[in-house]
Order: sequence, then C-alpha cells, then structure tokens
Amino acid sequence: MALLELKGICKSFPHAKGNLRVLEDLSFTVEEGEMVAVVGPSGCGKSTMLRIVNGLMQPTAGQVLYKGRQVDAINLECALVFQSFALMPWLSVKANIEIGLEARGLPPAEREKRASVYIDKVGLDGFEEAYPRELSGGMKQRVGLARALAVEPRVLLMDEPFSALDALTAITLREELLDIWQAADMPVHNIIIVTHIIEEAVELADRILVLSSGPGRLVADLKVDLPRPRDRRKESFNALTDKVFSLIEERA
Amino acid sequence: MAMNKTDTRRANSVILSMLAVAIVLALFFAYRRGGGGLHLHAPRLYVSARQLPYYAFCSFSRMTAAYILALAFSLVYGLLAARGAMWERVLIPAIDIAQSVPVVGFFPAAIFFFVALAHGSRFGVEMAAVFLIFTSQAWNMALGVYESVRTLPNDSLEALDAFGATGWLRLKRLLLPACVPKLVYNSILSWVAGWYYLIACEIIAVGPAHYELPGLGSYLMTAAEKGRTGEQVAGLLTLLAIIILMDVIVWQPLSIWAEKFRYEFAASSAPPPVAIGMLGALGAVGPVILRTVRAAFRPILRAIHSALATTRPFNAAEHPALRRGWRIVRVGLMALLFFFAAYGAIKGTGALIRTLLQPWPAAVRQIPLATGASMLRMIAAYLITLAWTIPCAIAASESQIFARRMAPIAEILGSMPATALFPAIVMFMIRLTGGMNLASILLILTGMQWYVLFNLLAGVSQIPEDLKEAARSFGLSRMATWRTLTLPALLPSLLTGSITAWGGGWNALILSEYFVYRATTYKVFGLGAMLDDATYQTGNGLMILLTLLSMVLVVIVLNRLMWRRLYNIATDRYRIDY
Repeated sequence: MALLELKGICKSFPHAKGNLRVLEDLSFTVEEGEMVAVVGPSGCGKSTMLRIVNGLMQPTAGQVLYKGRQVDAINLECALVFQSFALMPWLSVKANIEIGLEARGLPPAEREKRASVYIDKVGLDGFEEAYPRELSGGMKQRVGLARALAVEPRVLLMDEPFSALDALTAITLREELLDIWQAADMPVHNIIIVTHIIEEAVELADRILVLSSGPGRLVADLKVDLPRPRDRRKESFNALTDKVFSLIEERA
Repeated sequence: MAMNKTDTRRANSVILSMLAVAIVLALFFAYRRGGGGLHLHAPRLYVSARQLPYYAFCSFSRMTAAYILALAFSLVYGLLAARGAMWERVLIPAIDIAQSVPVVGFFPAAIFFFVALAHGSRFGVEMAAVFLIFTSQAWNMALGVYESVRTLPNDSLEALDAFGATGWLRLKRLLLPACVPKLVYNSILSWVAGWYYLIACEIIAVGPAHYELPGLGSYLMTAAEKGRTGEQVAGLLTLLAIIILMDVIVWQPLSIWAEKFRYEFAASSAPPPVAIGMLGALGAVGPVILRTVRAAFRPILRAIHSALATTRPFNAAEHPALRRGWRIVRVGLMALLFFFAAYGAIKGTGALIRTLLQPWPAAVRQIPLATGASMLRMIAAYLITLAWTIPCAIAASESQIFARRMAPIAEILGSMPATALFPAIVMFMIRLTGGMNLASILLILTGMQWYVLFNLLAGVSQIPEDLKEAARSFGLSRMATWRTLTLPALLPSLLTGSITAWGGGWNALILSEYFVYRATTYKVFGLGAMLDDATYQTGNGLMILLTLLSMVLVVIVLNRLMWRRLYNIATDRYRIDY
C-alpha cells in the first residue's frame, strides 16, 4: 500500500470572473521512503497541492489518502517548511522550534531536549535566544527546517524552501538537507519538495513530478536514477535537467 | 551618536510642547474679558422636522469650511515640515503636542477669543466652532503629508533634479501626487472626527453655554430636552443619511482614485471594494459631479494654460534683483510674524500671571482628587472597550466570514458621531439611575471604543497568511494560536488604537461629566466637570486655567511615560518583519 495517494484532486477558488481552476484531476502515489520533487511553472498549483496533502486546504473534488485513510483535517504526521520561513517574529529561535512540540503536548523539559537536538542538527548552535529578524535568510530557513524536523514527522513537506535565498546559500542548504536526510537517525521517511528550480529537483529527488500550469495537471512522472552524491557538472545530470525543462516548456 | 540626536530632539520637543501650550493658553486668556459666564444670545431653536434640512445645511457648511481650512493648512504645514530640518524640528513636536491636547477643553476659550475678535457678533461663535472642528481634522492630515514627502524615495527626487524640474513642476508632478493616498485616507478619518466635535460644540451651545449655533447637534439636544423621540430619530436618520451619502459619493470614489498614486512596486493584492446595488449606483454620482465641474471650468483653465504655455517658464536664477527683493520681503515677513508672536506671548503671559495672582479658591485643592476620579472613569471605559473589542478581533482572525460581515457594520456605526447619541444616552441613564456616573462612563466609552476596534481589525487583516498556516499546520490549539500568533501580532495595533482612544476619551470626558438637561445641571465629581463648572457657571478664569493645565499635564505625562514606551516596545519586538 502506498503511503500517500492523491486521487483525482481538483481545486478551484472563487474569483471575480467565475471560478479559478488551480488543480485538475491530479493523481499520483508516493511510496514509503521516497523523496519526491514537484516542479512546474509558477501558478501550476504545486503549493496548493502541498497544502491539500497537509490538510490545510480541502480539495474541491477528489481525495487524499494517507496510509489508506482519507485526510480531512491537519495531518500531524506531516510538517511543512515554508518559502517565506513563516517564523513568529516575536519568538526566539528556540521558542519557534518548540511551537510544534508544544502543540503535541510535550512537557517543557522534553521540548527543550528535543529542540536542542535539532538546533544542533541544522547548525544553529549559539543562536537559540536570537530573534528571526536578527538572522540571515539562510539561518531563518534553518530555523524553519529545525521546527519541522523537531516534531519528527513521517513526511516532510517543503514549499519552495530555498527559493527566497541567494543561489550560494541555497546550494549549501540543499547539501545540508541531503546530509540530514541520509543520516541513520533520521525520523523522516518521505520528503515532498515543491520547487520551480529544476536543478534542485534533479539534485535532490528520487522522483520528479512535472505539472503544467493553469490549471495544474500531471504532465510527467520521472524516476531519477542518478547515483548519489550527484554531480551537477555531469552529462547525465544536465541531460535530465534539459528533459524536465523541455517538458515544462512544451506545456507552458 | 544617533541615540544622542534623538535624545536632544526628544528634550527639545518636550520644551517646545510645554512652550506651545503656555503660549496658546496665554493667548486665549489675554483676550478674555472679565469674569462671569457666557451669555451671548438666548438660543432660538424650534424643534420641528421641517427645519431639519436647514440645520443639516448649517452643520454641513461648518464641516466643509473647517475641512477646506484643514486641507490647506495640512498641505502648507506638511510640505514645510518635510522640506527642511529646521522647520521639521519645530513643526513636528508642535503637532505632536497639539494632537494630545483635549480639543474640547479649549472650546470655551476659543469662543472667548473669537467672539472678542468678532466684536461680540454671532459670527465669532461660528468661527469658534469651525476652529474646533479644524483642530480635530488638521493634525493627522498634516502628518500624512509630511510622512508622504519624507518617505519619497531619494532617486525619484534626484530624477526630477536631473531633468531640471524644480519649483511648481516638482510640486505638481511629484510632491502633491505622492501625498494623495495618505491625504485621502486621513481626510476620511478627519471627516469622521470632525462630525464628532461639530455635534459636540453644537450640544454645548444649547446645553451649558447658551448661545446660538443652529445645527443638527443643537436640534438633537433640544429635541431630547423636550422629550420628542420622533424628532430625535428623524434628526439621527438625517445625520446618518448625510454621512452615508458623503461616504458613497465622495470618499469611496476618492479612495479608489487615490490607489493610483500609491508609491509601490508590488501590486496590492486586495481587489477594489465592490459596492452593492443602490449605493453602488450612487457611487457613480461623484465622478459625474466632478466631470461637470471640470467641464464648467475647462475654458478658464484652458485660457490660463495657453497664456502660460506661450511664455517661457519662469526661472528665478535669471533675475537676481527679484531674488534679492524676495529675500528682503521674506525677512520682513518673518520679522512681522515674530513681532506678532512676541506681542501675543507677552500679552498672554501678562494675563496668565494676573490670573494666577488672583486668590486661589478652595476648590483648587480638590483638583488632584478630581483627576483621580476622572482617571478611574477613563480606565473603566477603557476596560469595557478592551473587553469587547479584543474578542471581536480574535473572532475576526478566526473567521473570514465574521470579519467580512462585521467590517461594514462597524464602519457605519463607527462613522456615526457618538456625540449625536449623547442627549439620548444621558436622558435615558439619568432616568434609569438618577445620576450621571454610569452615563459618564458610557459616554467616554463611545469616544474610545471605535479607535481600538478599527485598529485591531486592521491589525487582523495584516496577520500574514503563512504564519496562520504555520500555526494550523503544526496543529496549534485555539488557545495556543491566540497566545503565540494572534495576540502578539495584534499588540502594535492595540497600542496605536489605545493611544488614539485615550485621546478621544479625554475629549469625551469633558463632555460627559457635566450635562445640562431641562435647566438642571447633572454632574459628577471629576476634572471635566470642574472645567465645565468653571467655564459655564462661575466663570472663574483661574479654575479654568488650572483644570485645563492639570488635564494637559496628565495627558502629556501618560503619553510620555506610558504609551510611548509601550508603543516602542510593541513596535520593536512585535512588528511583523521577519
């Protein structure tokens, strides 16, 4: 049984001129242990898809099955990492990371222990008491990542996590994400990452789903068989990047 | 270094503010003649719904006159303050203090001043009313102009410089358009505030002061005194109709038009509000009026334009003699201004000292206690305000449907001048409780609550969507969401709202502690009542001066020691800028 299954997902929003269709008949499955990247042009509904998977939004039609059960509320076995980081500006790094733990009813001592583990893991040592506005973009997203990891989700959902960062910072963070992902003590079983940066998808994912825009439909479902660590200068890497790019361009 | 600068500026502003208060007070009292109450004309007011259009016209004219004055003032004042550091140092602290002074307290003084100026004619009363409304409208508009010009990106100023566009062209093409959004926004706020004070001074006119100021406020007051409910309702409906019509015909089209001038690169995500049915149709009236007026003036404008087009643009640099002349004229004007200011200040200070040298009545010793009593009333009203506005804001943050339904209702209720309901509320409460204490708190409440509510609702709409999503995604409970997201995010707006609310509250306080109803004076023990008593009954200048001064002092001390600090903490720590 697939861990996650999307069946005929449609989503439309009320709009000035009728309904705006964002997703249309989107179906795919995610197997246990996969890292899936969803790519597509802006406005293809990939972020909306991620929110439906999380249970933040309900689809207009179709259903999401998680471990065979329909998702109709927030799925607490998922954790979301935001493009804009979405950190509470009035809470310290530590308090931000503890938000999800508090919501799950962990006692303070336990929260503290867990937070410090993940602060260490993402390299935020020494910044526990800092406020988000005192941090650089890369550091903020480290907080976002630690906050999501701290709840030890089965599925990590990432919504354009590195798109608001400069290119060099994004490369560093991607490498760190892979290190964390491949570590033996990693509680996360799956990652679904939404991005418009094709190299990012090719570098990270086991599988790439390509969406078309307006409304978002599934165009291609590609397996990425490149050996890790992947070298972005290799011919095979570029060939796959070109392939995904042309798939998107055809449908744009 | 920067710290030092702000410190000296703050110190300067305190000294300047105190000086400003002293001068204003001194000026008023210098022109005050003798003691005794105010008895100019016995008010001639006949309550009849047939005269309503006339009263409405009177009130509306006063509003319009005051608004035009405020608009002109705010443009000149704001542009001057934004232009030079020297102007800025004087003008901005002056506005700061003018904003925190309870305007209503100065109304009697303003009447003395203007009536003396108009040699005892009714016109003086009119001028005093217009002046009071003006003071309730001008400051925030002027600050809006100042902020708009000050926050202009430097490169757009440089671009105009680079193209040699200076003087009038610079004003027309950059400075004035840049002011439009904030000026329109503040105009709407000012217009609402204006109604509040207009009705207030018309009520004072019929109530304690006894002079003639025909208008909706005096009509409502007379109708309430005579116990004519039907006519009271008719008056309130007329007022409501004027306010809604103004909003639909003038303010809404204006704010849509003002959107064009927004100096932002990113497009605003909020769609323009869609008017509904009848009101939407009325919204088209504004542009039609505008087009007609423009068409009527077009030949004249075209003539002027063509006359100007054929002459070369005036360049001052080419006429050294003219420039020298202008410099002399300017120095002369400044000297004249300085002379008048000095004359007024000396005469005022003299009057001030003479007043203070009078034997102090025993009632003076009660001022601290009265201040405490008034403070308690203010705090009670403020707590009631918080008790209902915060739950409302939280509900609005949780349910978009509630927010959307609530906004227009609150907007209409909030733009109704609460003073118009004063007569009805007081009559009712006096009949119910036999005293003024509860009525007084209720009246202060009406002067406070909307400021807090509107600021909170604005704050709710500014909570970023991704933070809300984060809270939901991590499974935060309702309580946890309030604690970690909603309340911290609303703190800056709560403080902005509270500061304005307390400003409104002090004004309402003066009106609320002392009420004349069917020739009986109802009052409570408090600072506002003492001020009113001194003004309308005993005419004791010393008491007026001392009560006013204590009120101003309390306001300033509260602002400097409490509100400003809290506000700085709130904006420092709880601003949303991650």
